[in-house]
Amino acid sequence: MSQPFRRSSGGHIDRTQPITVSFNGKTLHGYRGDTIASMLIASGSHLAGRSFKYHRPRGILSHGSDEPNALLSVDWRPEKGEGRRDPNNRASVVEARSGLKTATQNHWPSLETDIGAVNDLLSPVFVAGFYYKTFMWPRKFWDKVYEPFIRKAAGLGDAPEVPDADRYANRHAHADILVVGAGPAGLSAALAASEDGSKRVILADEGFKLGGALLNDVTSEIDGKPAAVWVEEMVAQLDARENVIVLPRTTVFGYYNHNHIAMVERVADHRDNAPDGLARERLWQVRASKVIIAAGSHERPLVFENNDRPGIMLAESARAFINRYAVLPGKSLVVATCGASAYRTALDAKAAGMDVKIVDIRLGEDCGPELAEARSAGIDVLTGHTVVKALGTKRVTGVVVAPLGNDGSVGTRRTLTCDCVAMSGGWTPSVHLFSQSRGKLAFDASLDAFLPGQSAQEEVSAGACHGIYDLSEIIADGYKAGGSDTSVSATATFTGFQPVRVLPTDADPKKVKAFIDFQNDVTAKDIKLAVREGFESIEHVKRYTTTGMATDQGKTSNMNALGLVAGLLDRPLPAIGTTTFRPPYTPVTFGALVGPSREDRFEPVRTTAIDPWAVANGAEFEPVGQWRRAHYFPKAGEDMHAAVARECKAVRTSVGIFDASTLGKIEVVGPDAAEFMNRIYTNAWAKLKVGGCRYGLMLGENGFVMDDGVVARLAEDRFHVTTTTGGAPRVFQHMEDYLQTEWPDLDVFITSITEQWAAIAVQGPNARKVVEPFVSDIDMSEGAFPHMAVREGFICGVPTRLFRVSFTGETGFEVNVPVDYAEAVWKTLYEEGRKYDITPYGTETMHVLRCEMGFIIVGQETDGTATPDDVGLSGLVSKKKPDFVGMRSLARPDMLLPDRKQLVGILAKDPNEVLEEGAQVVEDPSLPVPVPMIGHVTSSYFSSNCGRSIAMAMIKGGRARIDQTVWVTTPKGFTEATISTSVFHTVQGEKVDA
Amino acid sequence: MSEISVKAVHAFDGLITPVGETRPAGVVVSERTELALAAVLARKRRAGDLAALVANEFGCHLPAPARRTEGRDISVVSTGPGAWLACREAGGYGFAENLAETMQGVASVTDQSDAFAVLRLTGPRVRNVLAKGIHLDLDANVFLPGHAAVTQCGHVGVSLWRLDDLAGGDAAFEIAMFRSYAESFWHWLSVSAAVYGLAVAAGG
Amino acid sequence: MLLIRCPHCGNRPEIEFHCGGEAHIARPETPSEMTDQHWAEFLYYRTNPKGMHAERWQHRHGCGRWFNALRDTVTDKFAATYEMGSPRPDLAATPAPARTA
Repeated sequence: MSQPFRRSSGGHIDRTQPITVSFNGKTLHGYRGDTIASMLIASGSHLAGRSFKYHRPRGILSHGSDEPNALLSVDWRPEKGEGRRDPNNRASVVEARSGLKTATQNHWPSLETDIGAVNDLLSPVFVAGFYYKTFMWPRKFWDKVYEPFIRKAAGLGDAPEVPDADRYANRHAHADILVVGAGPAGLSAALAASEDGSKRVILADEGFKLGGALLNDVTSEIDGKPAAVWVEEMVAQLDARENVIVLPRTTVFGYYNHNHIAMVERVADHRDNAPDGLARERLWQVRASKVIIAAGSHERPLVFENNDRPGIMLAESARAFINRYAVLPGKSLVVATCGASAYRTALDAKAAGMDVKIVDIRLGEDCGPELAEARSAGIDVLTGHTVVKALGTKRVTGVVVAPLGNDGSVGTRRTLTCDCVAMSGGWTPSVHLFSQSRGKLAFDASLDAFLPGQSAQEEVSAGACHGIYDLSEIIADGYKAGGSDTSVSATATFTGFQPVRVLPTDADPKKVKAFIDFQNDVTAKDIKLAVREGFESIEHVKRYTTTGMATDQGKTSNMNALGLVAGLLDRPLPAIGTTTFRPPYTPVTFGALVGPSREDRFEPVRTTAIDPWAVANGAEFEPVGQWRRAHYFPKAGEDMHAAVARECKAVRTSVGIFDASTLGKIEVVGPDAAEFMNRIYTNAWAKLKVGGCRYGLMLGENGFVMDDGVVARLAEDRFHVTTTTGGAPRVFQHMEDYLQTEWPDLDVFITSITEQWAAIAVQGPNARKVVEPFVSDIDMSEGAFPHMAVREGFICGVPTRLFRVSFTGETGFEVNVPVDYAEAVWKTLYEEGRKYDITPYGTETMHVLRCEMGFIIVGQETDGTATPDDVGLSGLVSKKKPDFVGMRSLARPDMLLPDRKQLVGILAKDPNEVLEEGAQVVEDPSLPVPVPMIGHVTSSYFSSNCGRSIAMAMIKGGRARIDQTVWVTTPKGFTEATISTSVFHTVQGEKVDA
Repeated sequence: MSEISVKAVHAFDGLITPVGETRPAGVVVSERTELALAAVLARKRRAGDLAALVANEFGCHLPAPARRTEGRDISVVSTGPGAWLACREAGGYGFAENLAETMQGVASVTDQSDAFAVLRLTGPRVRNVLAKGIHLDLDANVFLPGHAAVTQCGHVGVSLWRLDDLAGGDAAFEIAMFRSYAESFWHWLSVSAAVYGLAVAAGG
Repeated sequence: MLLIRCPHCGNRPEIEFHCGGEAHIARPETPSEMTDQHWAEFLYYRTNPKGMHAERWQHRHGCGRWFNALRDTVTDKFAATYEMGSPRPDLAATPAPARTA
């Protein structure tokens, strides 16, 4: 029989849909509605993993997302190939479906036989702070010995090794009310909140079936109906409302500022035949006017020796398996508890045919009506007893219990044999989201729990996460949160517990492993050691012992740890406080967070109108900011070096064509345009004639070079400003800032025209011949259209702003045309240029050519700390203007020091050696390390036109060091070089003063 | 001035193509290739004069921030206080030029016809698609016909406005982005709309 | 993600905005007449308070307008946003939204 522990009837499973799942290579059988955990239990096993540190066999502790032990690697679609496996899925919430391939983690060679279990025997070594204490000395062990060891031992599960093959979707949503959790409180809240059809309500629940704890409940009645029927009716009503979005399988994992809620919806993993292209998960970002948190509560384990043995689970979880999943966690159950709720589990287990005993730490007179009900059902109840320890290794075989004396003494031990234990240490309201919202927690001693206190945002908690445990009160609280005073009658709930931190024992506590945090293998002993060593802040205890970390974030362990620390320090629990709850509530796949913005779509790519031509003509590309720019145009068999050498030669000897469309372009318009330009740039603009161009330099208010570019005056009140490609947005915002905030009275406006005008640079001795035939309405003669001029007319009949400018030193035109016609004009010029062997060139050649001329590139030669004088551009700084942005800073004493870094040329002794950009420059490499550095190389290329390597550098007091020998770092050591001027090439013929 | 002798290439030429199941399509897209656009910025202290001029010349209100209005042969979208995008179907490069003359002294006008690529998006699932990229609340009762916004969509800066619903009741939006983002935006749109089906409508 | 009220566009998500640091620091009329110390203070010295802080914000990926805002640096709550050139609102005069810290 494949499911020996499956009950014959009942449960929220579909017996008409049998399924199988691969688990460590074996086949598990179950039904739709099962989790992997319930299928494993149906098979008769609880063994679901090995623990993190000691490699102890572990079972299934819980039925929810707080599960610390049963972490699985799941391959969701093994039939589709690689890239669909992820680690650390909690077996208790993985919705089972035929075809899933699952495996347990943290063991070798197998789950049953794990070599790492030797750590359990060595456990005296692995105490709290083990890593901090052990991996200190000697220093030389850090890289080679300690780090590999720690890396191998660290982390849960194996990270995927191939890219995620799935697609992830995202969505923004707006809601009047977002309800988190679809248990009795959440359903009631959502129903009440959506009563007004104009209110948009979203109800999200992490489970695949709505109902929360009511799914585990087969005895309660609400308004005379079985709880399950009530749930169905509530869900049906919500589904029928058009103003409600009901989202099962959707975890609210982050509560951020101003009610910005992040949640992840599992869209595809549960689907048998997910169509190709269906997103695996969907990230929802919701902005909600109000959030109702109905997140329920977490049950606490009891802390006793070997409380982690497989077969020992939380009491409510046992009830969930028995009732919701119709599987028996064993044949013979011991319920160990300090509170009332576990009696429900005992009664349901008994009704399901299990042999049941109850061990209650409380004295009989402290118990409520649950005690009599259990006894009348024929259940043996030992009140006033402690659990000393559990027996068994890979499966619990019994518990040792003993009566507690009035003085706290532990009486005579006796053994209760069993094959499963349901424990309850009381309840912890799930205040994670409330706490993430920055709300203040308040400790409620009567509930032994932190509850939502003062809110920081528009939210309200309802139900168990609000500290309310009785069913009818929970529902009333939900209705109230949703804005209604509806009340229901419901079966009374067993509530109340007497908190115990660590169960009393007569064993030597130093030899006992009683787990507080199952996931991190933190025992009561570890916490005690941390406190003894002086860690008193709970945040420090957490980090020192790792309690409360990793995938479960201490959902089950937190209160036990806090309570224990408080007890050891003899302080009230609220004085200890609690650790900070941070998102995510449960682990989130990176894929969901990233969505479609991955790989080459990580950010948008901007392309020019010429880009398709460049693609068709074999260009290699490079990213410049968001732009994709042609880097060079290799011909068959050419590498970059050969292509760039050819392109450079072509521009100097005939003509090249270059896509300059990415340069920033800003139109500055208005009566005060010239005044504005005067204030923003270092240059003086009043005398620039209409039709003239000037190279402009812009500083930040701190006096450092911010951007440069050619500025053309199109009319008295209209300037066409160009900026660097990368600097365009920055310059535009810089101008906007001053216009709006400092000089609001200036009647001038700026508009980005980067995208309106494409720019085609035609450069070289034959440039004029290529452009001229297509131009109309412009006098192209040298006298009428000199260097550094702009004319408006037509090219190929298309409006153009034609610039006579050069960034290469050669005769040059920049043909600006509206983008729609750019490709056609480019092609026309290229066809004409074939007569002169026109050569398309890319950014690399552009860089080499300008370096040959000693022209700087802002952001390459400058680094945000260079003044105009530092880069040899003091001639562009007006001495007559009373003020401009950055002027005052240029007069600061530090800006005038003689040993500032200055722009110079630097020539390697070996003319074939191309220095590394960024390489450090020193005077004397024989000095002891650290050798004083005098500067660095900023640009470096091989120049075919110069027949050697050339480079620029920023060198302390550089202009006084011309011809000095210096040394430059290389990967192989220092190389010799000489400081030079920064102009390497002399253009024949035309004088260029750009 | 001579005749244009070369052919225009529009932002989405070669990109715009149906995606997924399109019978029926959840979203229908078309590029507004012939829309002439001009940035209009009111001169200091002349906003009132500009409004009067626009009312006289074009018979429409100058829209308040986050609004769009339509007049005779023109539509005007607010892009911020004192800033508008004026649009005219088949206005050509003369549109901005003429507008500048008309508005001489009261506004600065800059041609943006080729700077923006404009898509019209309609269909029963158009809001579902936009919700994947846009943070704003585009609910039918919140973002009404005549509403406009400058925001981001899938990490791309956009201007968005809602037109009157189509005869069949489907919502209609137009979304303008800087032209260089067309390829990236199309990638976002085609991925986001694939599940609903994306059809291409004939002509803008 | 913060929700910020642009005085022109209404509530918009934080990613559309750019924070420009402390508000109400006007560029001096005649920088050349200032001492180095005063110029350095204008350029670099900021109050960086814990609590209510007047800041410059720009609706950069929206209408592009700069405005000022009062933000509590502890709670991230915005008490007010107001147009450039307006004086800092007197919060004592108008009751502020409920503080939580």
